[in-house]
Amino acid sequence: MKIRTLEYFIKEAVGSIRHNGLMSLASVSTVALTLLILGMFLVMVLNLNHMAAALESQVQISVYLQDNLSEQEIAAVKQKISQLPGLKKIEYVSKDQALQRFREQLGEQQTILNDLGEENPLPNGFDVIVEHPDQVREVAQAVSNIKGVEKLRYEKEIVERLFTITRMIRTVGLIIIVFLALAAMFIISNTIRLTVFARRREIGIMKYVGATDWFIRWPFLLEGVMLGFLGAFIAVLLLTKFYSVFIGYVTESIAFMPILPSYPIVIYLGVFLLGVGMTIGALGSTISLRRFLHV
Amino acid sequence: MIEMIDVSKTYKNGVMALSDINITIPRGDFLFVVGSSGAGKSTLIKMIFREELPTSGSIIVNGKNIVHLKEWEVPYLRRNMGIVFQDFRLLPNKTVFENVAFALQVIEAPRREIQKKVPHVLEMVGLGDKGKVYPNQMSGGEQQRVAIARAIVNNPLLVIADEPTGNLDPDTSWEIMRIFEQINKAGTTMIVATHEKAIVDGMQKRVIAIEQGNIARDELKGVYGYED
Ligand SMILES: Nc1ncnc2c1ncn2[C@@H]1O[C@H](COP(=O)(O)OP(=O)(O)OP(=O)(O)O)[C@@H](O)[C@H]1O
Ligand SMILES: [Mg+2]
Repeated sequence: MKIRTLEYFIKEAVGSIRHNGLMSLASVSTVALTLLILGMFLVMVLNLNHMAAALESQVQISVYLQDNLSEQEIAAVKQKISQLPGLKKIEYVSKDQALQRFREQLGEQQTILNDLGEENPLPNGFDVIVEHPDQVREVAQAVSNIKGVEKLRYEKEIVERLFTITRMIRTVGLIIIVFLALAAMFIISNTIRLTVFARRREIGIMKYVGATDWFIRWPFLLEGVMLGFLGAFIAVLLLTKFYSVFIGYVTESIAFMPILPSYPIVIYLGVFLLGVGMTIGALGSTISLRRFLHV
Repeated sequence: MIEMIDVSKTYKNGVMALSDINITIPRGDFLFVVGSSGAGKSTLIKMIFREELPTSGSIIVNGKNIVHLKEWEVPYLRRNMGIVFQDFRLLPNKTVFENVAFALQVIEAPRREIQKKVPHVLEMVGLGDKGKVYPNQMSGGEQQRVAIARAIVNNPLLVIADEPTGNLDPDTSWEIMRIFEQINKAGTTMIVATHEKAIVDGMQKRVIAIEQGNIARDELKGVYGYED
C-alpha cells in the first residue's frame, strides 16, 4: 500500500469520526467502559492467582497450643511433631514472640493493638516447616490429632477458597464482558453504517472509476479500528490510574497482602486491551460493511 | 473491441429486459443506443461495465469474456472505461479539480500524474479556469463536462454515457455532443444511450434502436426514427 493511499484512508476515517460526532463518542465510551471492566476483572483474577500461588508454595503450618500446658507437656508435643515424616524444621513460638511478630506485620497499623493494654490474646505454638508443599495437608492432619494442640492454620485451605472465588469471578466477568463487547460492537457497526450512508455517493463513484473493493472498504474498517483504539486507550489510562490508587490503598491498609506491582502487568494488560479494542472495532465495522456496503 | 453474443437479460422480478442481442462494436466506433423508455438501453449499457450480468450469452470486451470475470477483476475492467450518467454524480464537497482527481486518486495513480492529467482534461472540456469552483456553483452543462473530464482522465479505451443530456437544454446538449465527438476523434470508442431525436439525427453516427428488449435497427449514419 502506498503511503499516500494510507494517508487518504486515515484522512477519510478521521473525517468520518468527526462527522459522526455523537455516535463516535458513544462508540468510544462503550468500548472504554467494556475494556475498563474487562481490565478490572483481569487485574482481579491475576492478583487472586498470584496470591494463590504465593500461598500454595508455603510449606509452613502454624500450630497453636492449648493454654496452661506445662513445659513438659509442650516438650512432649514438640517431640511428637518432630517424629512426623516429611518434617524439615520445628520452632517454638512463645506468646510474646507471636505478639511481637504480629506487631511487625501490622507495621504502621500496630496502634490498633494498644487497646489490648498488657493483655496478650495469642497462644504459645510452633512454626512447623515441611519438606514439600504437597506434604502440608498430611502433616497438618497428624498434628491436629496430637493432644495439647488447640488449633492449626496453614495456607492451603485458603488457597482452595481463593480458587473457588477466582472461578466465580471469571464466570461472572466473562458473561458481563461478552455482553458489553457485543454492545460495543453493535454501536460501532451502527456508527459505520452512518458513514456508509453518508458516503454512498462517493462509494458509487469509486466503483465506477475502478477502485478495488478493498480500497473502498479500508477507510470504514479503519474508522472502526480507530474508535476501538480510542476507547481502549481511555480504558487503559483509567485502569492504570485506578490500579495505582488501589495498590496505594492496599499497601496502606493491609500491609502483608501479596499484590502484583503495577509494572509490568499494566503494560501487558494495556497491549492486550488495545488489541481487544481494535478487534471489537474491526468486527463492528465488518458487520456493517457486510450488510450495507455492497462492493 | 466489444462483442455481445446472444445476450439475454431477465431481472430477478421476471422482467425480460433484453433477449438474444448480438452487437459488434469495433474500436473507435461512435454508437447511439436509442429506444423508448423501458426498452432496455440502460440494461445493455450496464452489462458492458458489469453492473449487471446477462442471464445468458457472452460479452467480449478487449478479447475477454467479462461474464466470467471474478469480482475482484471488475475494477480493473472499469479502469479501461469512462462512465457518464444523466445525473452527473459529482461530489458536492469537492472542487472541480478534486472531483476529477478523485478518479485517479482511488486507483492509486501517482501524484505527479494527477497534477499533469487533471488540468489537461479540464482544458479539453473547456473548464480550464474552473478547477477551484464547487459543482453547486456551476450550470448543469458545466457539471456534466466535469463528469466527462472525470470519465476520460484515465485515458479509457471506451466512454459509456447513459442519457448524458437528459437534464440539459438542447444547446447545452449539443456542446456535450461536440465534446464526445472530440473524444471519439482521438480514438476512444463512444457509446451513448439517448432519447434525443434531434441530436441522433444531426450527428449521423451508428444507431442501434432497441424495442422491447430486441434490436429493431442497427444502422451506420442512422437516425432516431421514432416520434416519442
Ligand atoms: N434492477 C432492475 N430490476 C428489475 N427490473 C428492472 C431493473 N432495471 C430495469 N428493469 C426493467 O427492465 C426493463 C428495461 O429497463 P432499462 O432501464 O434498461 O430501460 P431503458 O431503455 O434504459 O429506459 P429509460 O429510457 O427509461 O431509461 C424495464 O422494464 C425495467 O422496468
Ligand atoms: Mg435508462
